[in-house]
Amino acid sequence: MAHIPDGVVSIPVLAAGAAVTLAGCGLGLRRLPPEAVPRVAVLSAVFFVASLVHLPAGVSSVHLILNGLMGITLGVAAFPAILVALLLQAVLFGFGGLVVLGVNVMNMAVPAVLAGALFTVLNRPGDGRRAALAGGVSAAVAVAATALMVALSLALSGQEFLPAAKLLGLTYVPVLVVETVFTAAAVGLVARVRPGLLGGKP
Amino acid sequence: MMRMMAMAGLLVMALAAPALAHKLKVFAVVEGDALAGTAYFAGGGKAVDVAGRIAGPDGTVVAEFRTDADGRFRVPVDAARAHTVTIDSGDGHVASLTVAGTGAAPPAVAAPSASPQLSGDDLSRRIDEAVARQLRPLREQLDAHDSRVRAMDVLGGIGFIFGLFGTGAWIASRRGRKA
Repeated sequence: MAHIPDGVVSIPVLAAGAAVTLAGCGLGLRRLPPEAVPRVAVLSAVFFVASLVHLPAGVSSVHLILNGLMGITLGVAAFPAILVALLLQAVLFGFGGLVVLGVNVMNMAVPAVLAGALFTVLNRPGDGRRAALAGGVSAAVAVAATALMVALSLALSGQEFLPAAKLLGLTYVPVLVVETVFTAAAVGLVARVRPGLLGGKP
Repeated sequence: MMRMMAMAGLLVMALAAPALAHKLKVFAVVEGDALAGTAYFAGGGKAVDVAGRIAGPDGTVVAEFRTDADGRFRVPVDAARAHTVTIDSGDGHVASLTVAGTGAAPPAVAAPSASPQLSGDDLSRRIDEAVARQLRPLREQLDAHDSRVRAMDVLGGIGFIFGLFGTGAWIASRRGRKA
């Protein structure tokens, strides 16, 4: 799952995750104007609680990630938002370890930023249905990319890639479906009432 | 923004009901000459048919097993020694627990005397076993309860996020005014 606990991934993966997370947060915070901070806070809080919505799947149970929505609305600022939410999840609920925090943030925030970029390409301002469709596709890509990155993190740490990836693929399918629908609905709504919020430009 | 706030509020309200976590947990106790326990996802489902291994105090694996349809396992071990149970669901969920050994040398299998009277040692060992057996469901419950996500933690976390970003915005706005 997206929250890898401590003691699973190897040190090079940990270092890479920490470096990517630091760079992403630095970039995200530097570009963030003060008036956009409340939006980051709200989405950080949404992301924080979204992980508590659980769907049983296979041997595991899965939960919403909403990183597609984060990327679409926040752009690079998704990095600090996800970092804060994951830190609190680790401290308060024990979801994921503290040492692997960088890897977990990377696995969720990099797909989020990707989804945000994809959304700006697909979206045509002023077309609500198009925006919803673009949002759904971006969310699906974000979840798939997270699954792939988690599987890769595990593979690079010595776990066998194929069984882990197969298990992950299986457990991520329901998340992917739910997130696609949810994000499409949310983006469709925002595109109609407040189109300025989309596109990751605060 | 108002709509987003409302959405976040709705989500929180929906979650005030018991929230489930997906952290993998393992619980085990020594029962007689076996290590018995359960593997489960914190707050919810049982970890069914998941691979596990038991290592001795020196780290060597002494047994491997898979959990049954109830997420339970029972593996015969040398109960006198400490063991570490590790459960690995293969998709990045790992949980481990160290169970202290009973410390005593394993009791002699064949009782030397055929008299119906129990020796003091034997009696206390049987009492220990019976008490451990009775306490196990309680300890399992306590362990599961401990890792349940509470509404208070959720609300506290949300408050923390807003406080943190609010402080950030405050500092940023002060800096903007000075410039």
